[in-house]
Amino acid sequence: MAVQREIEMRGISTVLITVSPEASRQMRPPRALYPRDFKIGNSLGRPGMRELHKRVLREALGLLKEPPRPGEIIEREYPEYQALSSKA
Amino acid sequence: MMSRKCVPFTPFERELSRATVALVTAGGVHRRDQEPFNIADELGDLTFRVIEGEVASSDLMVTHHHYDHTDADRDINVVFPIDALRELAAEGFIGEVAREHVGYMGYTMQLKQMYEQTAPAIAEEIDKRSRADVVVLTGG
Repeated sequence: MAVQREIEMRGISTVLITVSPEASRQMRPPRALYPRDFKIGNSLGRPGMRELHKRVLREALGLLKEPPRPGEIIEREYPEYQALSSKA
Repeated sequence: MMSRKCVPFTPFERELSRATVALVTAGGVHRRDQEPFNIADELGDLTFRVIEGEVASSDLMVTHHHYDHTDADRDINVVFPIDALRELAAEGFIGEVAREHVGYMGYTMQLKQMYEQTAPAIAEEIDKRSRADVVVLTGG
């Protein structure tokens, strides 16, 4: 996304949490996490799942301390999301 | 079209536990007392809203017509994890929550204006006033 690139160009490190990995890949983000199979509108998970929200946020922030892979989308699995969504 | 080879990249050489973190969301998040995004204009809305760090999550809402925000209406943290971020600060995982965050509606047909005006204006706001070392973006 253009906003991410602009912020990064000002010398501030960024990480994108995307639920549209195909669209995000075209934009070649500096850092990006895709929580696999999360729906649009559920970037951090479902409502009230605070521990999951924190886990996704911690892992997105954690990409800042990992070896850089600019332009790549890092995929992670969060089984607790699937478990809840399949029941819903 | 932007170059596909060039990815702007700022290395992060600090500790997360000392970092100030801001949120920037394309999910149409704003305070209830701020002007909603204009969803009547088919061209989209190129404006953004500044959300202060101390905001109560119950004072936030979503105006966006290009995704199903029923879940965000129940818990804004699913697109704008402000309470989750506060907890990470309280736990010492990050240093602190930035004084300013930004919401915009990441939908527009006016891509040129988005790239040339809105995106730099949001970056300027974050750079000059949020005092963030790190920005987490959501949406899109």
